[in-house]
Amino acid sequence: MRHTDENSAAAAVTEPAAQTTADATVAFVPGQLKVDRTLRLPSITFCMAQHVQSGRVFCGGSDFGLHHFDPAAEKLETAPLSESRHGSYVTGLVNAGGTLVSGGYDRSLIWWNAESGEQTRRIESAHTRWIRSLAISADGSAVASVGDDMRTRLWDAATGECRLTLEGYEEKTPHGYPSMLYAVAFSADGKLLATGDRTGKVLVREVTSGEIVQSLETPVMYTWDPRARRHSIGGIRSVAFSADGTQLAVGGMGAVGNIDHLEGKSRIEVFSLTSGERVHEIEDSKYKGLVERMQFSADGTWLLAAGGDHGGFVSVWSMQTGKLLVQEKVGNHIHDFDLLSDTSLVTVGHDHASLITLAAADPSVEQPEAEQAES
Amino acid sequence: MNPDCHSDPRLRTTSVFPVVNYLFTTLVSRAADNVLKPWPDAAFENFFSFRPFVVTTLLLGLLCIARQSKADEPVAVASNESAPQQSLLVDELARQIDIAVDEQNAASGVPVVEQADADVILRRTTLDLAGRIPTAREREWYLQLPAEQRRQLLVDRLLGLPDFDFHLRNSLDELLLPNRPNDGEFREYLLTAVQAQRSWSQMFQEMMLAAPAEGPEKGAAQFLKSRVRELDDLTNDTAVMFFGVNISCAKCHDHPLVSDWKQDHYYGMQAFFNRTFSSKKNELLEKPFGSVRFKTTEGEDRDAALMFLTGAVVADQTPEYSDEERKQLDEKIRNLEQKDDAETVPVSFSPRRALIDAALADQEQLYLARNIVNRTWERLLGTGIVDPPDQMHSGNPASHPQLLRSLAEDLVAHNYDLRRLIRGIVLSQAYSRSGRWTSESVPPGSQTFAVGASRAMTPRQLAASLMVAARSAESWPTVEETTANPEEWLKRRTDLENQANGWMREFEQPGEDFQIAVDEALFFSNSERVQNDLLRDGGDRIVGAVKAAETPEQAAEILWAVINSRSPDENEQQIVRDWISGEDEQQRLTQVQSLVWALLAGAEFRFNY
Amino acid sequence: MTGRKRLAGSPDLSSSGLSRRGFLGGATVGVGGVLAADMRAVNGLRAEEIASELRRGEKHVILLWLAGGASQLETWDPKPGAKNGGPFGAISTNVAGIEVSELLPQAAQRMHQTAIIRSLNTKIADHGRGADLMERGRLDDPGLKYPDLGAVVARELGRLESTVPDYVSLYTSTEGRRKGTSGFLGARYAPLFLAEQMSPPNSALHESLSLDQHRDRAALRDLLSKRFTADRRNSTVGSHNSAYQRVQGMMASAELFNVEQEPADVRARYGPTQFGEQCLIARRLVEAGVPFVKVARAWWDSHGQNFETHMELCADLDHCMSALLDDLQERGLLEKTLVITLGEFGRTPTINASLGRDHFASAWSCSLSGMGIRGGVVHGATEPEGQTVADGEVSAGDLFATILSAVGIDFTHEYMVGARPTPLADFGSTPIETVLA
Repeated sequence: MRHTDENSAAAAVTEPAAQTTADATVAFVPGQLKVDRTLRLPSITFCMAQHVQSGRVFCGGSDFGLHHFDPAAEKLETAPLSESRHGSYVTGLVNAGGTLVSGGYDRSLIWWNAESGEQTRRIESAHTRWIRSLAISADGSAVASVGDDMRTRLWDAATGECRLTLEGYEEKTPHGYPSMLYAVAFSADGKLLATGDRTGKVLVREVTSGEIVQSLETPVMYTWDPRARRHSIGGIRSVAFSADGTQLAVGGMGAVGNIDHLEGKSRIEVFSLTSGERVHEIEDSKYKGLVERMQFSADGTWLLAAGGDHGGFVSVWSMQTGKLLVQEKVGNHIHDFDLLSDTSLVTVGHDHASLITLAAADPSVEQPEAEQAES
Repeated sequence: MNPDCHSDPRLRTTSVFPVVNYLFTTLVSRAADNVLKPWPDAAFENFFSFRPFVVTTLLLGLLCIARQSKADEPVAVASNESAPQQSLLVDELARQIDIAVDEQNAASGVPVVEQADADVILRRTTLDLAGRIPTAREREWYLQLPAEQRRQLLVDRLLGLPDFDFHLRNSLDELLLPNRPNDGEFREYLLTAVQAQRSWSQMFQEMMLAAPAEGPEKGAAQFLKSRVRELDDLTNDTAVMFFGVNISCAKCHDHPLVSDWKQDHYYGMQAFFNRTFSSKKNELLEKPFGSVRFKTTEGEDRDAALMFLTGAVVADQTPEYSDEERKQLDEKIRNLEQKDDAETVPVSFSPRRALIDAALADQEQLYLARNIVNRTWERLLGTGIVDPPDQMHSGNPASHPQLLRSLAEDLVAHNYDLRRLIRGIVLSQAYSRSGRWTSESVPPGSQTFAVGASRAMTPRQLAASLMVAARSAESWPTVEETTANPEEWLKRRTDLENQANGWMREFEQPGEDFQIAVDEALFFSNSERVQNDLLRDGGDRIVGAVKAAETPEQAAEILWAVINSRSPDENEQQIVRDWISGEDEQQRLTQVQSLVWALLAGAEFRFNY
Repeated sequence: MTGRKRLAGSPDLSSSGLSRRGFLGGATVGVGGVLAADMRAVNGLRAEEIASELRRGEKHVILLWLAGGASQLETWDPKPGAKNGGPFGAISTNVAGIEVSELLPQAAQRMHQTAIIRSLNTKIADHGRGADLMERGRLDDPGLKYPDLGAVVARELGRLESTVPDYVSLYTSTEGRRKGTSGFLGARYAPLFLAEQMSPPNSALHESLSLDQHRDRAALRDLLSKRFTADRRNSTVGSHNSAYQRVQGMMASAELFNVEQEPADVRARYGPTQFGEQCLIARRLVEAGVPFVKVARAWWDSHGQNFETHMELCADLDHCMSALLDDLQERGLLEKTLVITLGEFGRTPTINASLGRDHFASAWSCSLSGMGIRGGVVHGATEPEGQTVADGEVSAGDLFATILSAVGIDFTHEYMVGARPTPLADFGSTPIETVLA
């Protein structure tokens, strides 16, 4: 996931899209969303990273390995990066200044040469339980990992040194079952790190000291069913900072009747980091399932979110009103996405990648009435 | 192999010829309490081919009985007290019954127990016709009637009470929807039909046609509706409950034990129901076409004919449909299954109608009539003339085939009038024998009907009886009042029925080899409900009435009259004297409550004997 | 009770039991007497000889019912690296050559007590009928309701006059809740079914009665019922009396359901989850002589998020099952107790878009531990992708034959139901000899 942020020097120079983004931030509000192309993926794909250096997209998934494809190619096709693989599902992938770093359920972190596919570093026991996700700081210098050992670790992207290990989560849920730490994100300035766990607990910390600056709760996302089925299915699956670092979006799923299925309404809670107050509480009236990945627009006026139950969805929410701007069903369950530009993105998920274009609302078309539950 | 299985007291039968007696009991006079037993040796089945085995066992069994009756003097004979019973013979059916049963017992030397006393006959008849114990006031009325008339007067009074309709409805409900004890629609339909004195054949038609209807008739469809998801249930339950035939074993192969039942019969029955389906609106409909194909044990694919149990085949008058028509009709049927407002599909030939016609045309085997006669007999005497009642076939002969036949013919000749049948049975002497067996010897098999049966009450009988017994004698109207004001009694009885509804869930429906569960004993012993309701103190309650009694003797009289529908004997009087000390109010209340409880939870109260 | 004095003089009462307590006198006998004596044995706190006396000749079955259908791939038949094998690894066990899912680390260390069957093919993959099949070893025939395993074991291993319940079924979650059925065996063998609360209904003394009054009243009932029962030889009439004779024992055994009675360290072993508590209740029941206990752990039906669900539920299963096996072993009960893990089916080898696995009954697993079982054995195998049984196919009937054989019940034994001989395990069932000791 996560390529180096467009505010970073490297991205701004190498990516033409960054230029248009800068121009468009003032006015551009997506009102249309169109899937242009799709690509069959070789396995269930949990994570992706844009490799701005080569223009390729890398992804990892249930075949334990990494694959890549060129989203600009005439014919979309994937190729394996390397014969060598993780020992289990690959669930986190970042681009650290051209070098790829992946993490997986095998508890290991691997540094890859994106060109040769060579493993340049492998840390076998980066966590003592499954690694759930990785994030990269805006300047590409720090990699954050979260895992089911309920620890957050900060790694020097260049040396692989573990700079910091952060605790603060219970290993067991309040009902005595193993908890899970799913989501992690850096703020754009690289100073803050947010994490979210299965029970709905969010911690926002200062990166250098590890000090907790905000502790937030989204208990609905836990989805514990105390009576009918006696387990849970949800948890916080995504966190995202607004570009100015004043807001944090937390993604997951709302209350579920039947936790055999991902049938809760997809749910986003947005908090003000200055006050700790909940600014928006969004439950999607149309699409169900987990919000697996979110990204704010550069100007902070809208939020892009994707995820799904069996099916996938991509939604754009106004961060001014909390209302829906546009959304579409996109293939099967989406696990990750990244903006290629302010108007295009790539999603990866259960079996497909999709290339999607965002456009401003067509004034000739009447906009569908947004009817979301609102705080 | 459980080494204890033969010493299990519930299963033990003793005899001078244990093995023969055992087999005899198993095959010929299979008592309800003997239905479930381990097969003694699977080799028997192979060694004797089935029918000669039956004959051999029959002969040996008769020998056994002959020996037995020589060895033991008859324990009881028709007593002098039975003189008034002669007048009962004025009932045509009762006479037929007694002649058939007595002749057979005399011929086999089976000792016959004396007639029960008046109290027992009153209680038994009231439970069987009114679904509850008699009130103390009904008992007073009964005992003052001239002895030679009172049974007939009793029976005819009970047949005219709303109690009879309620109870017959309940009995039919228990027979037909045993797994859904509170299907309101079905129960309403049955009550309407019973109150209107509809014939059994008409009720059968109504349940089979299941014509869409509103109001009280609507529930007729529930018999089929409740089974519509499983074609096998539609097929076999109809065969079992209306025709006394369980053909399920013939589904996969010709019946292994019963030569009567072939796969053709099973699938033949199935063909009558194959087109039945439920619409989205929950109406029971039939498709305009459709047939049953099955694979024979030889692997041949065969289309099932519409074949009744007698082997009679009904011509399938379904018109020819083109493929295109079929396609369109299939689409319409799908719509009916999925949409509330779908257009109906005209049906020109109804297999269920054909089944009705076939069943009513069956003058030879009389399946429809024989089954309900046998079921009614089993309900009133504890064991069917064919037992088990779903095994009407040549391998399981009736104990009194001629009697069963003539009762069935009589039923048909009298427009399937269940009241006439019930009246005949309860006026017979076979019905009114004492259930006590004082001899050390093995009692005659239940299919001799030589000893009265002790039957566990059904949940509704027990619940209604508890409601009657928990109140004082005076809180119920006299017979004269009931007669003078039938509307008032209907209201009281309806209330009683509703109250009983709330209690019946605590009890199990008796079935074959019925065992009272410890749950029931715990319920009586510890539940709030029993303590706070049945044992409540108050002027109109049994506890209040007994507490107010002036002497222990009077208390005993009240207790036994209200709860056990008889007078206490000397010993029981003594126990009450010993038990009630009357030293202070609270103690006395507890003592009285204990006495009431001990009788309500007692074995005597629990059974219809 | 003041009546007692006089009752002692009544000749008729001398055999009633009333006079005995009357003779003992005083209102304090009740709780301190019989109940306490029962409870000592039950708690296992005292005299081992009492406990062993109670246990003599007894055999038990504890069924850990994985309601909703646990995944064989995440439990007993891992396929790490297979296309749809999922993310979990396989771990070696304390029996060389046998591997199980990494989600069962504790069970892996007790493999010497356990046999795994990896080749169930039971074909029915809907919950209702699947549970019918796996609870009864066959589907009902039209007009014939079969008893479930608990009822059969209760009938074959229970004592007729047992003072403890002989078939207890615990099912707390509401999804898929099934009471269980004794089918044609009748109400005597119906389960004592506990769902909402963990104490049997109507087992506590009513507040308005002292135990003494309660017992005297029961004796009075017995006495007054004698005139009726004396001349009636009828098993149903007999069962009425038997049911009342079991009341005191059942009231005493209500304490079996109270885990507070256990020392803190024992409770801690079973852990804080409800399943743990109920496994401990099962051990208490078995120790007191209950032949069959079913503890249902619902709900495994992981159509979405199969892996997360199994991380939660397998942790529960692994810990509780292991604590139970250890506890039974230490008390000498494991050789008399068969512990089964089984559900209505397994789960698809394929992974759906919600990262779930769906219903699958063609190639799945269960485990048998303890009595009559040859531990450290795997029977059967599935092909590499887990779609079909490759070796040693086992039907529901075969599994029943195996379970019954393990506890010494002749599975070919036939009940006569009406005119119909009905074997305990379905016609044509064959026990799996490889897993039997």
